[in-house]
Amino acid sequence: MAGLSRRRFLQGVAGFGAGVLSGCGGLPLRSGGKAHVVVVGGGFGGATAAKYLRLLDANIQVTLIEPKAKYITCPGSNWLFAGLTSLDQLTVDYQALQYRYGVKLLVDRVSSLDPARRSLRTLGGQSLSYDRLILSPGIDFRWDAIAGYDQAATEQFPHAWQAGLQTLLLARQLQAMPDGGVVLIAVPADPYRCPPGPYERASMMAYWLKQRKPRSKILILDAKRSFSKQTLFEAGWTKHYGYGTANSLIEWHSLADNPLLELNKQSRVLTSEFGDQFSGDVLNIIPPQTAAQIALQHGLTDSTAWCPVRPLTGQSLFDDFIHVIGDAAHYAPIPKSAFAANSEAKACALAVTSLINQTPIPEAHWLNTCYSLIAPEHGISVAGVYKLDAANAIMPVKGAGGVSAGTDGEAVALEADYTRAVYRSLMVDTFG
Amino acid sequence: MKRICYVAVALVASTLNAIAHAEIDARAIAFNCRNCHTESSLDSKSSIPSLKDLSAQRIRQALLDFKYDKKPATLMPRLAKGYSDAELAAVAEYLSRN
Repeated sequence: MAGLSRRRFLQGVAGFGAGVLSGCGGLPLRSGGKAHVVVVGGGFGGATAAKYLRLLDANIQVTLIEPKAKYITCPGSNWLFAGLTSLDQLTVDYQALQYRYGVKLLVDRVSSLDPARRSLRTLGGQSLSYDRLILSPGIDFRWDAIAGYDQAATEQFPHAWQAGLQTLLLARQLQAMPDGGVVLIAVPADPYRCPPGPYERASMMAYWLKQRKPRSKILILDAKRSFSKQTLFEAGWTKHYGYGTANSLIEWHSLADNPLLELNKQSRVLTSEFGDQFSGDVLNIIPPQTAAQIALQHGLTDSTAWCPVRPLTGQSLFDDFIHVIGDAAHYAPIPKSAFAANSEAKACALAVTSLINQTPIPEAHWLNTCYSLIAPEHGISVAGVYKLDAANAIMPVKGAGGVSAGTDGEAVALEADYTRAVYRSLMVDTFG
Repeated sequence: MKRICYVAVALVASTLNAIAHAEIDARAIAFNCRNCHTESSLDSKSSIPSLKDLSAQRIRQALLDFKYDKKPATLMPRLAKGYSDAELAAVAEYLSRN
């Protein structure tokens, strides 16, 4: 004990209250002075990671690289189809991260990554070195999954699975459709971004069509046999949209054994493996997904096309100094949601500050809650509490989580209110 | 004199480290409360209860009541069941001070 060095003492102090005693945790770092963490991707994962790194240790320099100066959130974007929100209301900038938390923002794109040198270059010509890199780059699409459905085809048949112009395009197509028209929503197999998203989308479209074009129909063609919150969605559809009757606004069909293989752009026909043909006035095709290009290009994905990580720290299995969080990473059984990305970012930020300051890494805890609106006054939710098991794999904590218990009018109205409130608070916790 | 000084430093350091470990565990859980329970003027119209100015004892009792189904709510009973009583107490303590 007598040999305890001043440095170790200061490390202990720095771990206790880095905000108060910043300046004491100065260990030798490759950048010489302060540690530098680069975060790539300014969505819910990346923005939360950048903010919480600075909150945890103001001595760490954080650079956030994001190609867009403003971010349009996928959460809430389905509400646009019911006329409940606008792109403006879904848009956030990075001013608070920069000026309140001291995150350095680079509106730029990574062009090359040199993991051996722990450095990267951007399209804008910047060269950055990092002590640790956190990637939260989101998703990309498998353009080879449905023949004929390529990037160019999205301008005619929007996926609207990254919010923005695609969302507007789909909303306009819905508005232009004749009464009695058919909206077709093609849904991929798991895993994909936002498991309940397609069904909330169908609900919001049905809410709008019920008032404006009640003879119309939404046809969900699903690559799965069942889906997230299915019982709650179907109960809500029965209550509001005549689900299960001949006049239902929504029909759900599983194509688990008969996947959609081809799109004919001219005839607007989707053909399945058994030769079944489907068409509609609006074709919303949500293709199967992969981790974003940057992860694929730099060998951070495995055969699943997602990034395997050590969950405690988020470190890539392929590079100790690169952490991957959010939709691009494999955190199953935690679903790919904005809420989960925020939670993964916090665990990662705690681990990264611990690694940099050489303090013990705390036990990781993750949380997910996904709310969906079936109608403006009808909300439902699913939640999960997660931690590591003895084999260091993520497991849902037994007895916790699950779907909404209350299904009466009062409960679903409360949950609709919470759906909107949680969206706002998640925005503040992430970007504000 | 020098030795006494080292011992004193070691005692302080070990105490701080012990606190640091408990603190960090609570943060790992409590950060996830902030997804919903943000303390921001931007969110003043929220229907989600603010935790501001609540004592550790009040937060702890509420969490335990959610966990053991003594206090009905739409979401919190599902979440509180994911943690030990000791974890909930540590989270309450953390949230009352931050």
